[in-house]
Amino acid sequence: MFPGHPSTAWEVDATKYERYHIPLKLVPNRAAPAPKFAIIRADNCINCGKCEKACIYGVHKRSETDPRKMADPINSLCKNCFRCIQDCPQRALTMMVGPEYKALARGLWTSLRIFTIWNEAETGKIPVFGAGYRGPFAGPGYDGMWTDMSEIVRPTRDGIHGREYISTSVDLGSRPAWLEFGKSGELVTDMPPVIELQVPFVVDTTRLRASTDAMKIGMARAAKHVDSLLLSSPEALLNETASELNSHFVPVYGEGTDIRSIVLPRGVRMTELTLGATWKEDAKRFQSMYPHTVVGFRLNAGKDVEKRIVDLVKAKVDVAHVLFDEDGMEIETAEPRHAKDSLRAIHKALVSKSVRDQITIIAGGGIAAAEHVPKTLICGADVVALERAPVVSLECRNCFTCSIGSCPANLGDAPAEWIEDRVTNLMGAWRDQLLEVLGAMGLREVRRLRGELGRAIFFEDVERESFSDIEGGAGSG
Amino acid sequence: MVDDPKHCAKDLPEAALVPSEHLRFINRFTVARADTCISCGLCASLCPYGVHKRIEGHVKILPPDDRRCIGPSCEVNYFFCVANCPTNSLTVGPSETFASLGDPRWSSEMILATWAMSETGRPVPLDHPGNVGASGGGFDKLHFKLPELKGKVNPDQICTAIELNRRDSGTKIRIPVPFYGGGMSFGSVSAYTMLARAKAAKKWNTFTCTGEGGYPELLLPYKDHVITQIATGLFGVREETVQRTRIVEFKYAQGAKPGLGGHLLHDKNTPEVARMREAVPYTSLFSPFPFHSVYSVEDHKKHLDWAHAINPRALLSVKVSTPNDVEMVAVGSYYAGAHIVHLDGGYGGTGAAPEIAKKNIAMPIEYAIPKVHKFLMKEGIREQVTLLASGGLRTALDVAKAIALGADGVIIGTADLVALSCVRCGNCESGRGCPRGIATTDPILEKLTDADWGAERISNLYNAWRLQWCELLTRLGMTDISELRGRTDLLVHGNGQSKEAVK
Repeated sequence: MFPGHPSTAWEVDATKYERYHIPLKLVPNRAAPAPKFAIIRADNCINCGKCEKACIYGVHKRSETDPRKMADPINSLCKNCFRCIQDCPQRALTMMVGPEYKALARGLWTSLRIFTIWNEAETGKIPVFGAGYRGPFAGPGYDGMWTDMSEIVRPTRDGIHGREYISTSVDLGSRPAWLEFGKSGELVTDMPPVIELQVPFVVDTTRLRASTDAMKIGMARAAKHVDSLLLSSPEALLNETASELNSHFVPVYGEGTDIRSIVLPRGVRMTELTLGATWKEDAKRFQSMYPHTVVGFRLNAGKDVEKRIVDLVKAKVDVAHVLFDEDGMEIETAEPRHAKDSLRAIHKALVSKSVRDQITIIAGGGIAAAEHVPKTLICGADVVALERAPVVSLECRNCFTCSIGSCPANLGDAPAEWIEDRVTNLMGAWRDQLLEVLGAMGLREVRRLRGELGRAIFFEDVERESFSDIEGGAGSG
Repeated sequence: MVDDPKHCAKDLPEAALVPSEHLRFINRFTVARADTCISCGLCASLCPYGVHKRIEGHVKILPPDDRRCIGPSCEVNYFFCVANCPTNSLTVGPSETFASLGDPRWSSEMILATWAMSETGRPVPLDHPGNVGASGGGFDKLHFKLPELKGKVNPDQICTAIELNRRDSGTKIRIPVPFYGGGMSFGSVSAYTMLARAKAAKKWNTFTCTGEGGYPELLLPYKDHVITQIATGLFGVREETVQRTRIVEFKYAQGAKPGLGGHLLHDKNTPEVARMREAVPYTSLFSPFPFHSVYSVEDHKKHLDWAHAINPRALLSVKVSTPNDVEMVAVGSYYAGAHIVHLDGGYGGTGAAPEIAKKNIAMPIEYAIPKVHKFLMKEGIREQVTLLASGGLRTALDVAKAIALGADGVIIGTADLVALSCVRCGNCESGRGCPRGIATTDPILEKLTDADWGAERISNLYNAWRLQWCELLTRLGMTDISELRGRTDLLVHGNGQSKEAVK
């Protein structure tokens, strides 16, 4: 402060400032792991113990009961280095890809993705490994796009140590295109309600195949923990959970709900209705009943979804929650597009009508890895809804047997505290990976990522640009 | 370009068989013998490959040595053990161990082919499955339209050399093979690994690079073949390390983790590594991104001028990643004074990188090369720039494809390590590091790599690669690898047709 100057109102008290941070901790697995690799010891093993010396991970140990013999290999520790196989004088060891690990894969949810989510939920850390990329060159959906990076000019970021300056907060709600002021300078625009989240994802439990009360309590607390939202049908959530969640709860009402019968729980800041035949009346009625609540409509992505969303803007709906299937494909259409194309079409339609900021787009379905979050945002969504991923973080094996009441990971008796920690870890790890991407792109806030198509690289485009003069290449004669 | 192609191929080292028996542990096929076997020994007398062995006097026949087995396709032979076994005790099938080696980018065939070439120095045929990965895109989808070989390949008549300085001024450096070794720091790999690479580089009169971890004194005898890298953390960069080198490399970004700087996780930062980097032992070291002295092309020029002032004889190389505007970066680097523009594509190697960065940030090198090549042509400066590519170039054919797409040459890294017996298990980043003694600084594990043995293997691989290029160029009717540059007309994009189907 300069002497003689009055203290100004914008002065910030540095001691009160708290930086947003997701606390992470080790949350061990409950079920037996599904090891990536399995080592089989054949009968001709002579128990010489060379494998024990060779393995630096402790897979091979002598039997505790009979030290003359080797114990069965501890497969979950194996990291596929082939040292034991190389050193075995009897050639008695065989390595194979773990059968349980292999069996995890289903469509978009590959074994590796599921395994990665388990590890993220256990440690809360970003997966870091040596050696270069080892997967397929490109692929369908989000695998066919890359994010850009910025090579030199980086005024926004202080290298790796500048992560804490990158903001991941987003707004849910409509923003007026301009502000109007009265004669005496007072604001006369009717400001629509807006919710600020600290992370660009919400947890959506409405489409889960099976969930226990503990799962809902755990996920609700995790959502609250990271200052996000939990989306659930109000009947499916215990009353005490809803009241504990308070302003982090978003009740979701199905199609055909009588709007007049809706009584919002205390503290609720946002509600989702389902797009049906009477949606226009529903929207009007709801807005007259709860003018200070953000109202969103859920709709299945499909043909002309972009037109329907433009209609939603006209009806002054704040949020459109676009639903894709588990593989990220559109639902109600004969020729489904992937979310990356569908969302781009939606974003472009809204931009061309100059109404992009008047609606928030939540995209759900097909989010199976951390990289899908920034990619979904680049394609035009504001917020990503996590549905399967939080369940997979609880060691779900993607096996569908929950429909017949059995679960290899015993999710039925997983305690709420454990679930809360696992899901928090997952969201923390994903946020940190989002920061990596934002950092590499030289962006200081995630809001800038939305619809930033110029900062993405799409497979079709680069194939055409780079290979069109090659025989058989994309776009070649 | 060169009048006397013979001169190019002069004084190249010769290949020699390197004893690598311990690396022949992978079996492609599994031969199983059931308990019903009566140890009659018929299979042993039939199999010409030596899978079955019966020792006179032993009650039981030895377990089958399935590394020698040629697989179920043997059934056409009269000596097929499975068909001849009187008790039907034998079965032959694919091996699980073989299937769990490798990944789509470095397939098990590719690793084994690289090992075979490193051991013998002899090339695998150009249609060998080990030349192409199974990643389903990029180099794995591009194939040469190769005419049949007419006559013989005469390697003495083929020039595979490239010029590293194509500007009018400055030191001229010519390397007899179109590649040099990429940066791998002390800390990410062991000193012995660095030494093996440096010895091979000296043999082939090409280069290897320090990476960002200082300049171990072990490498001093090879200083004419070691590039000093200056990266954002400036770890181990000193005036004398810049002065003693013939090429200075500025690393702006690395393909595997573009825009994220460098990582050395705490476990691998042993006291020795820390001393070299002037850091605290067992702390994780992150090179920041970017160079904080460089926020513009003018700053970049200042940077290069600084290195030029310290060592005026050295060539300047600029290593950048592959963003959307990579061609502008390349042009900017040229005008700032760089001799070599080094593009590092997204699928390149690393000692430690966040998984999310490896696939998802910045484009694969296959797209960046033609983009930059065409742009430099338009700009009219293509002949003044040495454009080198790296990041996922695994085999000699990948290198040739990169050149056909428009690069002058390439920079390789992982292939060197595979020659040193790396299986690409991907555990280089933490703990004691590499269980195979390559990417480790553990005092016990690092002894697994013998520098002389390693140098021979790497040198053999280079020899095999050169012979592969000789055959390729001969079949294409060329005598100099520079004729191949930008010849996309010789490539065919295998959309829809798989190479395996043709075979």
